[in-house]
Amino acid sequence: MARRPVSWLAAAVVAVLVVLVLLPLAGLAGATVGPDADGAWADVVASPLSGALLWQPLGGSLLVGLGTGLLATLVGAYLAWVVVMTDAPGRRAVGALAAIPFALPSFAIALAWETVFRNDRIGGEPGLLAALGVAVPDWLAWGPVSVVLTLVAHYYSLSFVVVAAALTNVGGDVVAAARLTGASRWQVATRVVLPSVGPALLSGFLLAFAEGVSNFAVPALLGLPVRFQTLSTRLYGAISTGDAARGYVLSLVLVAVAGLVLLAGQRMTRGRSYSTITGKATRAQRLRLGPARWPLAALAWGIVVATAVVPGVVLAVSTVLRRTGSLDGGLTWHYWVGASDPSVAQGTRGVLRDPVVLDALGGTIALGLAVAVGAVVLATLASLALRALPRARALHATVSTLGYVPFLVPGVALGAAFIAQFGTGSGPLPSLYGTFAILVLAGIAASLPFALQTARAAFGQVSTELDEAAVLTGAGGARRFGRITLPLVSRGLANGGVLVFVTMVRDLSVVVLLVTPATPLLSMLTFRYASEGFTQHANAITLVIAAVAVVATLLARRLERRPDLETTR
Amino acid sequence: MTALTLDRLTKRFGATTVVDDLSLAVPAGSFLVLLGPSGCGKSTTLRMLAGLEDVTAGRIRVGDRVVVDPAVGVDVPAERRGLGMVFQSYALWPHMTVRQNVGWPLAVAGWSRDARRDRVAEVLADLEIAALADRSPAQLSGGQQQRVAIARTIAPRPDVVLFDEPLSNLDARLRTETRALLGRVHRETGATTVYVTHDQVEALALATHIAVLRDGRLEQLGPPEELLERPATAFVAGFLGSPPAVLVGGRTVGGRLVRDAVDLAPVPSGADAAHAMYRPQDLVIDPGGQLAFEVLESTPAGGAHLVTGLLGGADDARGGDRVTVIADRREAPGRTTRLRVPAAPAALYGTDGALL
Repeated sequence: MARRPVSWLAAAVVAVLVVLVLLPLAGLAGATVGPDADGAWADVVASPLSGALLWQPLGGSLLVGLGTGLLATLVGAYLAWVVVMTDAPGRRAVGALAAIPFALPSFAIALAWETVFRNDRIGGEPGLLAALGVAVPDWLAWGPVSVVLTLVAHYYSLSFVVVAAALTNVGGDVVAAARLTGASRWQVATRVVLPSVGPALLSGFLLAFAEGVSNFAVPALLGLPVRFQTLSTRLYGAISTGDAARGYVLSLVLVAVAGLVLLAGQRMTRGRSYSTITGKATRAQRLRLGPARWPLAALAWGIVVATAVVPGVVLAVSTVLRRTGSLDGGLTWHYWVGASDPSVAQGTRGVLRDPVVLDALGGTIALGLAVAVGAVVLATLASLALRALPRARALHATVSTLGYVPFLVPGVALGAAFIAQFGTGSGPLPSLYGTFAILVLAGIAASLPFALQTARAAFGQVSTELDEAAVLTGAGGARRFGRITLPLVSRGLANGGVLVFVTMVRDLSVVVLLVTPATPLLSMLTFRYASEGFTQHANAITLVIAAVAVVATLLARRLERRPDLETTR
Repeated sequence: MTALTLDRLTKRFGATTVVDDLSLAVPAGSFLVLLGPSGCGKSTTLRMLAGLEDVTAGRIRVGDRVVVDPAVGVDVPAERRGLGMVFQSYALWPHMTVRQNVGWPLAVAGWSRDARRDRVAEVLADLEIAALADRSPAQLSGGQQQRVAIARTIAPRPDVVLFDEPLSNLDARLRTETRALLGRVHRETGATTVYVTHDQVEALALATHIAVLRDGRLEQLGPPEELLERPATAFVAGFLGSPPAVLVGGRTVGGRLVRDAVDLAPVPSGADAAHAMYRPQDLVIDPGGQLAFEVLESTPAGGAHLVTGLLGGADDARGGDRVTVIADRREAPGRTTRLRVPAAPAALYGTDGALL
């Protein structure tokens, strides 16, 4: 076998991973110490400033994380129970809708919230309720309550998916066996069903917690107007106002908090997923809800409609209202296609006629494509090397670890790390600040865990015997890869690529620190318009982002239909 | 011609030795079956032969050509050994049709388009799967997939064909049918064949040579009849045949093999015997026999009954050897009776398992 080229490939993959993952984090840590950092650690941790710099934002992050984790788990578990275990009417549609909010960008739900609840605290036009004459208090319009509720609306999908999967795995036989012992419903629920979904509940909670702690867009949009800070917004504020070293310290704190939670969660749930050993799984008998059927179903319906349908409708409708939240101003397409009019939104053009928006659209799609292709190619090469060298333990450990680390690093902190390492030229590396390249590199780093997992799964499904059978025909390595392996993994890789593309198109947190006017992106424009109070423009661009994501997903579905792989029997 | 020679072949994974100093040789055109319980190293041996597994030490020769010998740095890669192999999972390429699966190896080997078309048609017709040519593997039953895998392997006319437990995923009826097909394929192609299985019925039905492996070592190599009639070790005696030979354990005391006060046979001077071997038809269930016998099950077979039970000593049946004898009538399970052994055993095996 040709060992040499494979070793070179493995070395190259490790080198790229080091540059993408290890180097930025090292640069981030390095930038917080030394003379240039100017005592940043002391300033942040122990100085008169640390209250405002660290402790309050840390408290805010933890508050948001805990609130999001608990509520999202509760909501997700409730919906999973309704969908999987009960006879509630319309449970299938509830299940389908419950997966949608996670596919929306998190700032879409935040913008929808703003469109409805916005009050006159900051300038710009009032929201729907205020326009109807309802006085919206600050605590509801802005701050932790709105941030947590918005994040819950986004992340309960995660808990729903894992808990529903766990509940489905609780075989009907297991429940039936418990009931035949004479146990009551309550005993069956608490002693048999709950323990077997415990790990799923915990991992759903921890994922939502980590996301809540590190999310940037939502606290930036809904928290900053009332000076409610989290670590993400605080470090963004520090770095974007030139206070980089302190911002880097906060980034490291954020990495530590989010990373520790995820690692601890992994440790706690390891080896605690129970698989049903029986050969044939029987479905559990559905719980008859009786008279409670309708109220419980209505609650479930209310939740999914409010989170999956209403935000989209609110955003769409708001873009054609001349004045937010009020039909009095009449309907208009101005915010989509209007020419510059000094009397509306300070003369900002409709998004589809604005060259900046069109530029940003091109940039966003280009970034999505570049990151998707880059991440998938890198992950494919890594999987190939791992597969070709199955006994190289050190290589497997290195690639797995480096490929997993970005999962523990919140997007804003990853962006900060890239600025710290590549923002200024060092050694042979030129300064990448303000270039498209730094966006692509950071995007690839952020997408690595997912891309690597997808690629390894795709390769894992191709049994080694298929390749060995080709070896024995006498075909060389390149020919085998092109004719056997690639056709078999391409579908899985393409799916992974589309998901990376979609994630990147709607990402704000990774790019927010890296974008400059030279490299406009749609998510960044949305953020800016929203901060400036141009609600309709922000909402319209969000809809454009959603449209790009949906079109990409549909295209991928279409590519997926391959008649030769379909089974007719 | 393509005789096969394995010379002191050894495979170690870390500290575990999977194949231990294995030497065997078969002439061209043989049907060699590597037979043994799971974990005996037979599949590893086959994969080393194919070039899919590294060799720790030893030499493999295919015909006149040394394909691997780490001592002199020879290791011909699998793709240049010119062997064909049928995998246990069939390993059909799921994105290619049956025709493409069979035709691609020919394309790799550089056959012309016309020659390819003719050969594919010929092989598919020979294996009675011509009607399936444009189906994808996912649309085939297990037995059909098996035939496609065989067609794909023999299409380039390899001199050596390897089979890795090819029948283990088929149901009983298909297994018998495909076994016959494999025999026919071997006769028609004349290719030297190496076949791995743990099923002695397959081995006895197909092989010209059987190599019984145990713990990575060769127990015996020879034609099926020889292994049945003159098993070289107690393991082979107890492994081959349906039912296998009856092994009665004992101790050598004063030049005689004795089991719990029952005198079984004289032992050659200087030797230390541990087992006496008898043919299953030579033992008789007889309340006046020498050894206690507790019946466990009784299965009718071919007009007789195979009676399996625990063999004890002079007084007590419990905790003894498990043996199967051929009786002319059914015995009730759970009954304790006695077994009469003939005056002289068919063979004696020493404490190391070797034939005395």
